[in-house]
Amino acid sequence: MSDMVNIVIDGKEVEAVKGAVLIDYLFKEEIDIPHFCYHPALGTDGNCRMCMVEIEGSKRPQISCDTPVKEGMVVRTKGENIEQVRRDILELELINHPVDCPTCDQAGECKLQDYYMAGGFYESRLEAESKNRAKKAVDLGKSVMLDQERCVLCTRCTRFTDEITHTNELGIFSRADHSVITTFPGKELESDYSMNIVDLCPVGALTSKDFRFNQRVWFLESFEAICSGCSKGCSIHVDHKKEKYKDDQIFRFKPRENHEVNGYFICDEGRLSYKDENENRISDALINQKVVSTKEAIQNIGNLLASNQEDTLLLVSPFLSNEELAMFKAYANDNGISLSGYAPQYHDESFADEMLRTADRSPNRAGMNALGINEEEKDFNELLAQKKIVLIVENTYFEDKPELLDGKEVILLGSKETCVASHANIVLPIASFLEKDGSYTNIDGVTQHIKTTMRKNAPAGTLLSLWKEIREEA
Amino acid sequence: METKIVSKRFHIPESYKLEVAKKHGVYGSLEKLFTMTPDEVITAVEKSNLRGKGGGGASCGQKWRYMPLDDPRPAYLIVNADESEPGTFKDREVMDRDPHLLIEGIICSAYAMNIHTAYIYIRGEYKWIADRLNVAIDEAYEAGIIGETLMNGACDFKLDIVVHRGAGAYICGEKSALIESLEGKRGHPRLKPHQKECEWYFGNPATVNNVETIASVPHIVEHGYEAYTQYGTKKSPGTMLFALSGPVKTPGVYELAFGHKMIDVINTLGGGMKEGKKLKAVIPGGVSCPILTKDEVEKAVLDYESMWDIGSTLGTGGMVIIDEDACMVEVAKNIIEFYHHESCGQCTPCREGTGWIDKILHKVINQQGSIDDIQNISDVCGTLNGKTICVFAPAVADIIGSIVVKFRDEFETYILKNQGAENE
Repeated sequence: MSDMVNIVIDGKEVEAVKGAVLIDYLFKEEIDIPHFCYHPALGTDGNCRMCMVEIEGSKRPQISCDTPVKEGMVVRTKGENIEQVRRDILELELINHPVDCPTCDQAGECKLQDYYMAGGFYESRLEAESKNRAKKAVDLGKSVMLDQERCVLCTRCTRFTDEITHTNELGIFSRADHSVITTFPGKELESDYSMNIVDLCPVGALTSKDFRFNQRVWFLESFEAICSGCSKGCSIHVDHKKEKYKDDQIFRFKPRENHEVNGYFICDEGRLSYKDENENRISDALINQKVVSTKEAIQNIGNLLASNQEDTLLLVSPFLSNEELAMFKAYANDNGISLSGYAPQYHDESFADEMLRTADRSPNRAGMNALGINEEEKDFNELLAQKKIVLIVENTYFEDKPELLDGKEVILLGSKETCVASHANIVLPIASFLEKDGSYTNIDGVTQHIKTTMRKNAPAGTLLSLWKEIREEA
Repeated sequence: METKIVSKRFHIPESYKLEVAKKHGVYGSLEKLFTMTPDEVITAVEKSNLRGKGGGGASCGQKWRYMPLDDPRPAYLIVNADESEPGTFKDREVMDRDPHLLIEGIICSAYAMNIHTAYIYIRGEYKWIADRLNVAIDEAYEAGIIGETLMNGACDFKLDIVVHRGAGAYICGEKSALIESLEGKRGHPRLKPHQKECEWYFGNPATVNNVETIASVPHIVEHGYEAYTQYGTKKSPGTMLFALSGPVKTPGVYELAFGHKMIDVINTLGGGMKEGKKLKAVIPGGVSCPILTKDEVEKAVLDYESMWDIGSTLGTGGMVIIDEDACMVEVAKNIIEFYHHESCGQCTPCREGTGWIDKILHKVINQQGSIDDIQNISDVCGTLNGKTICVFAPAVADIIGSIVVKFRDEFETYILKNQGAENE
C-alpha cells in the first residue's frame, strides 16, 4: 500500500498517493487545468508550461504535471495571479498560430480554442503579417496530414512514436519558433497505430486524412461502443450524423479510455472499420431475389421454420451480441433445432500484434463460447450435410464457398451482402453492429455494452425485434 | 592586480606541449593526490569553497557529494567546454594554452569521485582547440599519465578521456541539454529533479563541471585548500578568469582574486576606454545577466555576493563593455537576435517569447515602433522569467528586461524620433 497524504486543492481536502503527479488529482477533482503536453499515457514532458498552479510556500508558480504530491501541500488553481500567468503563456502559444479556425477540422474540439474562450479574450499584440509561416499540408504517410503552423510543439505525437509504438518516425526539426514537427528523412508514418496521434494532438496540427473536411465536429452525435474489428473489442466513441434527406451515417471512430481493455488507443484498421458499417449493406427484403416487403419476408420465414424445425440448421455468428445469441440458443433448445456458431473465416493470424490486435477478427466469440454454442467444424459439416434448410444469421462463412449451399433452402438474416445474400432464398435485412443495443464479451472476458443513438431509416429493425415478429408468425 | 592560478602557464610559449608544461610544473599535484583518499580530495575542494565557474557559482565540492557512493553503475565526469556565452572566452584560453592543466584537473576530479571515464564536451566551433586537446590527450596516454593506470602505475586507477565536439547549439552549455546531446539526442534541457542529486548520463551517475572549475582543482589538491581561500572574499574565495571585451584599450582574459572593484579592472587591466570615450554600461558576466549602468559599474565589486547585492550576477565573468556611442536599442536587438536564434524551442515561453521580442525590436529599429512596444517587451520578459524548464528564458528576461528598464528614455527617444521623422 502506498503512502497516502492529505493535500488541499482550491480549498478542498483531497487524499492522494505520496509522490503521484499533482495534475492527475486536478483531473480527478474535475478542474479543467489547461494543458497541452501532459497526457496520462505519455507522462510528463513539461514543455507547454500551461498547467501552472500556485503552491503555498513556493516562490514561483509550478507546473502541476511535474509536481509530486506532498503531505500538507496547498494548491490553488484559481485567482487573478495564476490565471494571468496561464493567460500570458497562452498568448505566447497563439502568437504565431494562424488562427485559421474556420477551415480547421479541429475547431470545436481544439484545446487552444477552449482555453482562449475560457480565459483569454485579448487582442493579438502581433501583427498578422509578422507571424511565422510554415508548411500547411505535410503528408506524413497513408493516414495523417500535418499543418505545421497550427502546431504547439507539445511533442505528444513524437513521444507516441518513441514510447508507445517504438517506430520513431517523427521528430522536431529546427530551433526556437521555427521548430517544426515532421517525419525523419525518407520515413513516413508506418505504424498500425499512427492515427492515434490525431487524437493526441490537442490542436489542429495533425488531422486524419480520412476525416478531414468531412464534417464539423459540433454537428456530430456520439455514443459509446466497441470496435468489432477483433476480439479485443476496443472501447470507442462512434461519431455519427443524420443529415437532412439522408440516412444516419457514421463519420469516425475515436478511442475511448478504458483501462480494462485498450487503454487510450485503438489500431488504425479498427478506427477505419466504421466504413464497413456504411458499406455493402443489404437494403431490401428479398424472396427468390425479388424485392418484397419486410412483412412478407417475415411471414415466409416464420412459416418455413415452423414446419421444418428438425430439418433446419441455424448458423449464428460471433458478431452477434450476448442477448441475441442467448435468444437463439433458447429458441434452438426449445424447438429442437440444430445450432452452430461455426465461423473460422474470422481467424487471421497475420492481424495479431503485441499491442491490441488479436487474431480472432470477431467481437464476441468469448460470449458465444460462454453460452456453450457449438462451433466445431466436424459437427457443423455433419449438420450441413443432413439439413435441408440453412438459416444464416450475420455469418459470412459461405461468402467464398456459396456452392456448399446448392440444393438447400437458405434463409438469411443479415446486414451485409457478404453474408451471401445472392444465394439466399429469403433475405431479411437487419440492423448492423452499431445500430442496435447489446453486450459483447472480449477475449479477456470483459463484457461491454453498446447503447446506440443511431436512427436509421432502413433496415426495418434489429435482429431482436424482427425475430420476435418471426416467432409471432410461426 | 592579477593572481595566477589557472593562468599560471598562459604566458609560456608552447605551454600546450607536454614537455614544456612539465618543465613548468604540470601534473605536480598528482603525487600528493595519490597519498589522499577520494574523500579527502572532495573535502579539500569543499573547504576551498571552489565555486562553479560556468555561471551558476554553485559549490563544486557539494556537487561532487551528490555522486552516489558504492554504486555498481559506471560514473562519468563530463567537462563542460561548450563555451558559447557571448562575451565569455576564458575556457578556450585554458584549453588552448594549457590543455595539460585540464587533464590534470580531470585526473584529480575523477580520482575524487571514482570515475573512470571523462568526456570533454567542447563546442563544435572550437575545432582547432579540440584538435589541440586531442593532441594533449594523446601525449598523456603515450606518457602513461592516463590510461590503464595513472602516472605509469603510480596509481592503479584506470582513466580514459574523450573529447566530444558539439554541433553548435548554445543551449548545449546547459548541463542537462549537454548530456542529452552527448547521448545523441536533441539538446533539450531536462526537467529539474525535485531533490538534490547528480546528473544522469544514459541512466548512470554523472557530474558536469566547467573547464575552469576543473582546472582550479589541481592547485587546491597540491597546495591545500588554504592556498586557495587566501585569495578572494570569505564567501567567494579564490580566483576567476575575467574576460574583458568591448571598446577598452587592452581587452583579454585576466585572472583575478574575487573582490576587486569592476571599474578598477576596466581602467587598469583593460587600460581604460578607447579613444577617450565615456563608459556607458557593462554587462558583467556574459550577456545573460542584468546590465549595469555607469553608476552601478562604479559601485560593482567582482564577487558573487556583491554582484547579487546590486541586482546582477557575476555569471561567467565575461564583461562586455559598452561605450557612449552605442545605441541601447541596437544593443538589445543584437542580443535578442542571438537568443532568438539559440532558443532550443522546447518550452513555450522561451520558444515564442524570444521570437516575439526579436520582432518587436526589429520593428522599432525599422522605425515602425510605438511607445506601447516598450511595455510589450517588459510584459514578455515577465512571462519568460521563472516559467520555463531551464534558465535560458530568465536570462533573456534579465538582460533585455534590464536594458529596457534602465535605458527606457533611450528607447522612448529612439521611437519618438523616428515617429517624428515619419510625420515630416
